[in-house]
Amino acid sequence: MENNSPLSPHLQIYRWHISSLVSISHRITGIINFVALILICIWTAMLLLGEANYSSIEYFLSSIFGKFIVLGLSWSFSFQILSEIRHLIMDMGYGFELKTTRISGLLVIFGSIFLTIIIFVIGKNLI
Amino acid sequence: MNVSTKKWIFLKVSSIILIPLMFWFIFNFVSIYDKSFNEIIEFFSSTTSKLLFSLFIVFGFFFSALSISEVFEDYISENGLKNVANRALYLSAIVIPLITILILFNLN
Repeated sequence: MENNSPLSPHLQIYRWHISSLVSISHRITGIINFVALILICIWTAMLLLGEANYSSIEYFLSSIFGKFIVLGLSWSFSFQILSEIRHLIMDMGYGFELKTTRISGLLVIFGSIFLTIIIFVIGKNLI
Repeated sequence: MNVSTKKWIFLKVSSIILIPLMFWFIFNFVSIYDKSFNEIIEFFSSTTSKLLFSLFIVFGFFFSALSISEVFEDYISENGLKNVANRALYLSAIVIPLITILILFNLN
């Protein structure tokens, strides 16, 4: 049965802005994070079920592709954290001016890269 | 209260809870993912890690399922397909964390 409620417009209709880039990236990272959560659960369960699984997991995670997955996952989580903070601030009624939305959007994009670097520096050296 | 309003409130409350849990997990994940088997098991053996990791996956799946169902609402017009997609999404968001938590708490 067809639903008569309007669908979101397709991505190619509107000119891209920082806000639209952050909005669509927020949705994409949300889907990536769902898949990442499934992979994290599989990783945890396999490790907890016995040492026999450890070598194959270690082999995968020490490969270039495995390291890319860990880095990508850290960035995706960082982006989601900052974008969700931006959403919460906007839900409180702040930051709707055009200039502010551009600045907060840029802060989310570049902040997520910076936060990923911070996570790796602290995670690898301090914890 | 409208169903959509309830969904929005659940989404916002879960995001507030999830943000610090995401920070905690990602810092620890980066620090342990390439460690030895014993070090990883030691991490998961502590009560704090068990509790925080369980909360992280419960709220993570809950928040993700609500977010993705919004995407389905916006981009899938066919009601039958949307219902199947939502059921599969919610089922996986319940079963996967439940199994993981059971394994985690059975760890000696």
